[in-house]
Amino acid sequence: MVNSGTAQVHAASDGDDRLIRADEPLASLQIRCGGDLPGTIAVPALLEVVRKARTFGMKLARPIRALDGEHNVTAWVEVSPRAEEGAGCEISVHGWRSEPASANVLEIDAAHRREIDCRLADFSAMLDSEQRLLAVEADAADLTELVEEMEAGLGRPWTDFVSIEGDSYRQPMHWRLLDGARLTVPGSPRTWRARLIPRQVPGRENSGFELLLAALDALPQPSPGANEDILPEKNDRVVGRDLAPVLRQPITRIIANAETIRTRLAGPIADEYANYASDISAAGQHLLALIDDLVDLEAVEAEGFSTAADRIDLAEVARQASGILGVRARERGIVIDAPKLGESLPAIAEFRRALQVLLNLVGNAIRYAPSDSQIWVRLEDGERLARVIVADQGPGIPAEDQPRVFEKFERLGRSGDGGSGLGLYISRRLARAMGGDLSVESAPGQGARFILDLPADTAPYADATSGMLDGTENGAFIRSRLPKIPSRRSNGNEAETPGGS
Amino acid sequence: MECYGTPMSEAAASPESVDSVESTLRDALVNEDAAIGAIVPIVRHLLAGNVNSLFSEEIIARVRGMSEDVARQLLDRLAQAQGETERRDHAPEAVAALIETITANPAFLRYLHAQTVEWQLTRQLQSRLSLDPVLSPLLQALIASPDSALAALAMNFLASQARFCQAQRRMKLPLGELPGDLLHSALLALRTCPGLAPQSDECIAAAGTAVRGEYDESRTRLGLISRLVMGMGGGAVAALSIGHAGAAIFLSALATSSGQDRDITTLSTSKGQTARFALALRAAGLKPEAVREQFLTVHGDLVPPESITRIGSDHAAAMLSSSGAYPGAEYGE
Repeated sequence: MVNSGTAQVHAASDGDDRLIRADEPLASLQIRCGGDLPGTIAVPALLEVVRKARTFGMKLARPIRALDGEHNVTAWVEVSPRAEEGAGCEISVHGWRSEPASANVLEIDAAHRREIDCRLADFSAMLDSEQRLLAVEADAADLTELVEEMEAGLGRPWTDFVSIEGDSYRQPMHWRLLDGARLTVPGSPRTWRARLIPRQVPGRENSGFELLLAALDALPQPSPGANEDILPEKNDRVVGRDLAPVLRQPITRIIANAETIRTRLAGPIADEYANYASDISAAGQHLLALIDDLVDLEAVEAEGFSTAADRIDLAEVARQASGILGVRARERGIVIDAPKLGESLPAIAEFRRALQVLLNLVGNAIRYAPSDSQIWVRLEDGERLARVIVADQGPGIPAEDQPRVFEKFERLGRSGDGGSGLGLYISRRLARAMGGDLSVESAPGQGARFILDLPADTAPYADATSGMLDGTENGAFIRSRLPKIPSRRSNGNEAETPGGS
Repeated sequence: MECYGTPMSEAAASPESVDSVESTLRDALVNEDAAIGAIVPIVRHLLAGNVNSLFSEEIIARVRGMSEDVARQLLDRLAQAQGETERRDHAPEAVAALIETITANPAFLRYLHAQTVEWQLTRQLQSRLSLDPVLSPLLQALIASPDSALAALAMNFLASQARFCQAQRRMKLPLGELPGDLLHSALLALRTCPGLAPQSDECIAAAGTAVRGEYDESRTRLGLISRLVMGMGGGAVAALSIGHAGAAIFLSALATSSGQDRDITTLSTSKGQTARFALALRAAGLKPEAVREQFLTVHGDLVPPESITRIGSDHAAAMLSSSGAYPGAEYGE
């Protein structure tokens, strides 16, 4: 949703295609794609262009696409190799667009999925057009028995050797019905999923299949920042799992068509109509934001919600949040006074979630502060707590309203400004899930100060588990990973948590 | 189904089922893959000098003209690097040898072929629908856009498209218009071509460095369109109407939104590639009626395969991506 349509983003790589510096939002994408800064470019499409530009010695310009797990990013990149021998490239990025990824993005790319299946499969076999075994190969220890039986029975249908769940038909069935079937095999305690890939040879109807078996219940790998996604499936994730993907697509289409009309790309129209289209588009954007909020709401209220306990630099998070919202602030003539480069505030929290809270706080400040005012983002280093304060010059919040701003759907009587009344509620839940808290201090006419407290990272930097820490300005954001903090951590704040969920 | 014990094979055999629709289209796609795969060997065969009626004489003449132009420009640059100040004709054997080395790269031939097909399409649209080869209604709208960066980009594209038309009429292809990968392969051909008079490595390297240094992919016509389509953001839907956008912008937008290579997308507008064209339009999110409309605009007399109405857009994209002509899949050779 960060659409910096016109703003230019600059970055640079070295002779080994490592990203040595990058503006936002490219820097964040690099991190979310699993890379470091500095570090080898982790966005595959960008790496390809940079590598080519460097080896060809030419200025290349291409659109790139990237998927960071949550967003589809498209951008136009121009890459110029530096003149010196063995030097890297200057990268400039235009037209950055980031849209929430629909749930089926990964499914669309069948070739990609097939590739993934091949990599994940512990077992593969060649079948003829009648699904009879020609050759068998397996990697997993619990498949030895199956392979032995199959090798002794080459030429028989593969389905003779496995038990397919819920199956009562004579085998083998049509391959398409077996593709994706769950099954068990002798000697293995695990459940497996079958994948049948027809071999296509032009001019021949059916030239056999490749059979892959992938274990369904392998131990899940912990993946950074995706903790809520690996929770067991539950009915209480209706919005995130079922509703949001279905809603996003038509709304995105409404916005796209409204934008077509607004920008007069389908032909000239009168100004009033362009303005109507602009309203439709804005309403659509609002709906999308609301869906995002509802998905978050559901996630933070889910049982067992937990966040990763990474060692992060809160100053860097604050700078990023300020950078991302800088364009919107400038449109309103607001200056954000973010922590200076070089300042740092080590804390233990999940980078993505801390950024989400600060984006919400700074975003609110921009929304409610008067034009041509200033917003301060300040750091305070406590003994146990690392603190970020976001202060604005807005109208402030009366004392009696202050507890209410953190309540669900609380708008304090405002409407029509694009808010959902969920942001602060979600932010406080996130802060508390990370073992911290979010509070407000304000007097009418004096502006508001939102205070985010997170556990300070008091361990010495040269900690044995760390080692990734470096002293560069853009140093690795996530310095190391600590054991997870459970969601209902008893830190004294729990009693205040609104019980309304 | 399982509850009632209906044999699955019956469902699969019904002519109405998705399965049979898919297999009809899949078979058509496999055949079309074979046809696309045959293009490169045939074009190369024809370039070797034989007359053949399988491909139109015009396409052959144009591909030959453009590859010759590229070869001559490379030899010009080489002569410059050797310190020659006057332009002179190059030995026909040298030109022929260089053409052979350059066109050994299937992607290069496919690009030339696609450029030719695009130009033919552009002229057909002009004669049939009076659509200007340079200035389409969409481009007019873009030039008048309140977004000044977008408007400037549209003006740059206008100039570039005008140069493209002129170059196509003359069967020329300026080096600076080649996609980066192809320019790189052409420069490598200069180094490896066996039929050239022995040159010093320094001269070849100097010529290469000069060409590479002048090159800027963002100023190529395809680069400009691609950036223009991206700049339209959500409004890029408007580019998926060929009568509104014109062939050049339409082809880039269709390639992007169907996840196909632009050259393949261009070739799919020929009469023998209707399944691919229909699937691409569907994968780009067009409704069946809109697919039909684009078919009539492009072909005049052809309608899309009837089965396309029963294929969803995700499904269409998946079928395209698993077809043999998809980038990354083995192609040509």
